[in-house]
Amino acid sequence: MGACICKNKANQCHADGHAHGASSNSQSRTGRAEAQTIPHVNRSHQPSGQGHRRVTGSSSSRRESQRNVDSLVLETLSLIRTLVDNEQEPPQAMVQLQKVAEKETGWLEVVRSLILSIPLDNPLGPAVITLLLDECPLPTKEAISELHRNLGLSCRGPCDEYKSVCCQRNICVMVGCLAEKLAGPNSVSLLSKELLGYLVHNLDKSCAEVVVLHSIVALEKFSQTSENKVTINKSLQSKEPNPLVVLEEWWKDPSQLRWEVGFCARWCLDNLFLAEGRTYSYENEDLSAINVMLNSNDVSEYLKISADGLEARCDASSFESVRCTFQVDRGVWYYEVTIITAGVMQIGWATKNSHFLNHEGYGIGDDEFSLAYDGCRQLIWYHAESKPHLHPCWKPGDTLGLLLDLDKQQLVFSLNGDCLPPFHQLFTYTRSGFFAAASFMSYQQCAFNFGSKPFKFPPKDVEFKSFNDHGNLTAEEKIILPRYKKLDFIKNILVKEDSCTLCFDNPANIVLLPCQHMGFCQKCALQLETCPICRKHIKERKQVPVDLECSNLEDEAPS
Amino acid sequence: MALKRITKELADLGRDPPAQCSAGPVGDDLFHWQATIMGPPESPYTGGVFFLTIHFPTDYPFKPPKVAFTTRIYHPNINSNGSICLDILRSQWSPALTISKVLLSICSLLTDPNPEDPLVPEIARVYKTDRPKYETTAKEWTSKYAM
Repeated sequence: MGACICKNKANQCHADGHAHGASSNSQSRTGRAEAQTIPHVNRSHQPSGQGHRRVTGSSSSRRESQRNVDSLVLETLSLIRTLVDNEQEPPQAMVQLQKVAEKETGWLEVVRSLILSIPLDNPLGPAVITLLLDECPLPTKEAISELHRNLGLSCRGPCDEYKSVCCQRNICVMVGCLAEKLAGPNSVSLLSKELLGYLVHNLDKSCAEVVVLHSIVALEKFSQTSENKVTINKSLQSKEPNPLVVLEEWWKDPSQLRWEVGFCARWCLDNLFLAEGRTYSYENEDLSAINVMLNSNDVSEYLKISADGLEARCDASSFESVRCTFQVDRGVWYYEVTIITAGVMQIGWATKNSHFLNHEGYGIGDDEFSLAYDGCRQLIWYHAESKPHLHPCWKPGDTLGLLLDLDKQQLVFSLNGDCLPPFHQLFTYTRSGFFAAASFMSYQQCAFNFGSKPFKFPPKDVEFKSFNDHGNLTAEEKIILPRYKKLDFIKNILVKEDSCTLCFDNPANIVLLPCQHMGFCQKCALQLETCPICRKHIKERKQVPVDLECSNLEDEAPS
Repeated sequence: MALKRITKELADLGRDPPAQCSAGPVGDDLFHWQATIMGPPESPYTGGVFFLTIHFPTDYPFKPPKVAFTTRIYHPNINSNGSICLDILRSQWSPALTISKVLLSICSLLTDPNPEDPLVPEIARVYKTDRPKYETTAKEWTSKYAM
């Protein structure tokens, strides 16, 4: 989702009568990002802009402009679902909102509208807040201090105007999004004592679950900046017991919202806010019955995976993807997914040729090597194109069944046992090498069953195999290391002198012809069409002995 | 794979940081960096400290890093969202480029804007037709947002 920026930029320029040449290349690609961020809007639950808001502004013109902003926000929310095509322009309402937000007062009005008018029951409300804030001009320091004043936060909550659960959820989403966007010193100054106190105070089972959830996510986003992480950690540790330790008990609770809270609390405790005396989840999980997992080495960088390797969640603004550990080449295979959040996820099948372009908004179903089911927008995705399907929208708790029949070369998706007609497109370019795979928009989560538990809706009229009966992972391969442990491990790897100057992983044993530049490994060289140093077209990649002097990354690069 | 390369760049930056710039991970996440650029002395941005965020894609260095300002700046090639219009961050990216070189390019973009390929046409127009006004506004913004 973060990558919508380019397209909007190009758009603004067009509006001013100037085409923006440099970005035109990337336009159709990045435009796709919007397709990914497109939430489903349930119109019947949408409050009207005027009715929902309690206007307290002093002047009538101020009220007028705030009402206008409210309706633009709601219009964006309702239109955004229809943007599934690369070539579509972003909604005019969104472009107008960006213009309004150019001024400090306008930015504050947009934020106020996001807090007051994004409804609670729209599964993608939070994602739309993230999208709109991401695309808006950067807030100035004054705008941020004014925002703090307006929110009036304390441990007792925000000011009276924003006391509703819906407003508080939106506030948490909004500050989390700003923390991420302004990562660094600006995020540190955003996290005031009052805001920190408010977010930590929300980590309580007596608060509304949705507010608890987005408070955890906001704290996690603030802690992307080291200084904030230290501050938050201190605050959490001063509480007895640690509120996250209490909340992690909610993981797998029958209420999906609690389940989400439990997942996020647990993930934070394992990866960010370590609690004294608590052992890591991966040390406690009984993984003896699990032979196939989500692959923690084959995942885009911001997806969160549970310690049992069977559940994933995205809270980033990018479109995060993952493949499973087990490859299938022939036969009939089935797996199930429990839907925990009702927003945009693309769940299906992919080969290793599918790339995860998370920042551009490309995921499973967005190339010719993968096909995916999207139960929010009710679409089937293949080759970045979508076709509607006949299932109703998925809801938290639903079970998606995915059957891959390599003998008949067809795919069948079922929702709670109700099957769609088979799909065949995926086999146009690929006949084998398939993995279960999925992509997630912001704040989306689901749990996978590769056969370690009984299936809820096993296919009836076909004999199938489950991954778990045929997969095999060593005890070591089953460990999903906490992020910082993984990084420590990587930091300690020494780079050899003769390493490839691009990946620093493999020996540099390739010379590019005709330009004769060296310093690359075979794996990297195969991904290049032009020489990274002189940009000449590569005609041949010739192997050479590795002890030759390599070109140095420091000294040579295209100007 | 990207992680090894990013780790190497981080080590190199520590050993030999580019003038007027600094960069490193924001927190625990190696794919997510912050950077600081000091306004170049021979530009209206002098005296300002500008913050940026950097996101490395999963397939870095085959795809360019995503670099954006988080401090407001008055510049023909940088918009109010912080997005930067710079060819090496788009079509002219090469895997042999590094964050260090990208930051140096951004520094020189601050000294020498490129009004022929503007991201903010209005600022480009002022830059081309009324240079003193551009200088004054850029200085004002610098002292308001970057000091």
